[in-house]
Amino acid sequence: MQINRRKVLVGSTAATLLSVARPRIGWAAKDPIRIGVPTAISGPYADLGNQVKRAITLAVDAANAAGGVDGRQVEVRYLDTEAKADMARQQGEKLALSGFNLLTSAIASGEALAIGPQLARWDALYVSTINKADDITGKSCVPRMFRVNRPDAADAAVVQPWLKQQKQQKWAILAADMAWGRNSGMSFKKAADANGRTVVGESYSPFGTNDYAPYIQKIADSGAEALWVAITGRDGITFAQQAKQFGLFDKVFTAGVSFIADNQVNALGDALKGVWGIINYSSTLDTPGNKAFVAEWEKKYPGTSPSNFEGETYVGMQVIFQAVQKAGSVKPGDVAKAMAGGSFDTIFGKQLMRQEDHQLLGPNFFGYVGEVNGKLKPIITMTVPADVATPPPDGSCKLAG
Amino acid sequence: MLIQLLNGLVYGGLLYVLSVGLVLIFGLRRVVNFAHGSLYMLGAYIGYTVASLGGFWLGLVVSVFALTVLGALLDRFVFRPLQDEDPIVTMLVTFGLLLVLEDAVRTVWGKDFLTMAPPPSLSGVLLLTGTNFPVYRLAVIGIAILVAIGLSLWLRLSRVGLYVRASSVDPVTTGMQGVDTERLSATVVAIGAGLAGLSGTISAPLVALAPSMGGSILIDSFVVVVTGGLGSFTGAFIAAMLIGQVHNWGVVFVPSAAPMIPLVLMVLVLIWRPSGLVRAGA
Repeated sequence: MQINRRKVLVGSTAATLLSVARPRIGWAAKDPIRIGVPTAISGPYADLGNQVKRAITLAVDAANAAGGVDGRQVEVRYLDTEAKADMARQQGEKLALSGFNLLTSAIASGEALAIGPQLARWDALYVSTINKADDITGKSCVPRMFRVNRPDAADAAVVQPWLKQQKQQKWAILAADMAWGRNSGMSFKKAADANGRTVVGESYSPFGTNDYAPYIQKIADSGAEALWVAITGRDGITFAQQAKQFGLFDKVFTAGVSFIADNQVNALGDALKGVWGIINYSSTLDTPGNKAFVAEWEKKYPGTSPSNFEGETYVGMQVIFQAVQKAGSVKPGDVAKAMAGGSFDTIFGKQLMRQEDHQLLGPNFFGYVGEVNGKLKPIITMTVPADVATPPPDGSCKLAG
Repeated sequence: MLIQLLNGLVYGGLLYVLSVGLVLIFGLRRVVNFAHGSLYMLGAYIGYTVASLGGFWLGLVVSVFALTVLGALLDRFVFRPLQDEDPIVTMLVTFGLLLVLEDAVRTVWGKDFLTMAPPPSLSGVLLLTGTNFPVYRLAVIGIAILVAIGLSLWLRLSRVGLYVRASSVDPVTTGMQGVDTERLSATVVAIGAGLAGLSGTISAPLVALAPSMGGSILIDSFVVVVTGGLGSFTGAFIAAMLIGQVHNWGVVFVPSAAPMIPLVLMVLVLIWRPSGLVRAGA
């Protein structure tokens, strides 16, 4: 039996009533699905951990209300990693060994890379929904690790076609001085070269920068017509706020990666209006699956719409549930077998989990921050189809089975 | 050129207001206050909430007042009972306070990032040498200068100021002369915390508000305090302005080494003058 999203929605009310009367033994007949979430509950990324929690709560509550998945109740346990790799390994181990061995949704890529090598020993499975480092499905790939969100390479892949349409010739780059920011700056430079654009300035700001004024002034002095930004989180907001006060966005056309994420837009409001960027998921996405998801979301969390990270985390839950359904088992080994090479119904549509590197193939988007029903949101203007947006495996991932 | 110079003054000014509070507390209580960053953070959040209800200036006043009261309580219930303990104990307690305050703020204001607009009267830009410069940044420089002037007048001209200076050189002798050093310390810690509230609120329109926001700026202000000479008010001013400029010009001329330069400066100053630019109490 296939669980269909619409059926879930329609049946949920009835199921809620039923589940009250239903004897607990009904659940006990089959092992429950135990999801372990080692994520940032405190620390600088607590904001992201909170988004993870909202998306998972929605998915799990809906599934349980509809009578569970594959006749199994879904249980979740969260442990705090502060987005630190060593803590992710410890907390991941605690979760896995206490039976919550279907792991998902750590924040930093370093966390996933720390969890990956342990999965076989823990007899667990990990599904990335936020981590972007290419290595997770590249040279550090392992049979028990999967990714449903867009990797860095997918973000790089959309820049080139987008840049081709832009008229600005002279670009400046401002990126976070860490692996992700450096990579993004480099791939933008490559895209600029390929399209005959010049990069007139390149700056990398350290994590936790409080004063972006010197960077802003440097960009203004460089004579750039446009700016590419790869800064996110608190730093991204601080930069945008100061840039707005200097009037930088009025003079210099601005676009970026992870710069116009929903949480940034919510915190900044008008400051990001008209800024462009890569969008991995938007609640304005026009698919039947997404519309049902957004409707469900707005019912559960009134006055909000799902963010990009919330959307992607929800996809992770859909993939896990459908894989359990298909495997008819909650053993991580069986679920992993069902996941690899499988096809899944997600809010993006039908998506394939690539056998070679365990990357879910999905589209990627470009757009700008604009108003939808009086609320500022990232709005998609360009869709890059899954086969272009998710570059083929580069051969660095060798899965022995 | 002028713009980068001004930018340096803005950051230097912010650092000064924050670090002079640290200097005050260290001078009187000999406490390295790790919780200072979280007082700054709390000041920003209180400023944010009150400003959204009654305007920026009310936010500023309430935040400074609230932090001053908190500072007095901190002195009465933390620093005073711990004054005979090993300094390391007090330091650990202030570190614990930092964690508690961060969690408290997270519980009250949530985990989402917040931003605050500058007051409408200061939200424009001024055309300086062909570049738009935000008026609010000029106001930050102004506030820092006012704090510096106000503090030094208070320390040099008032009787309490005299006691503070005396007590930060030799608390025992000052006490023997009949000065109530306990009350004095409470006043000074309260003012120090109030200044953290002030710097938090004036920086709120410049940076994103997050419970972790005190961490990175605290490191910069420790660099200021150590470079300036632990416990020296003039030293803190000179060091803050110097580090503000160095931070700025570093980004312009040697971007790859920019984050390191203030630290290198600190090391060089300490080799040249081990007790900092200005010896405390001098």
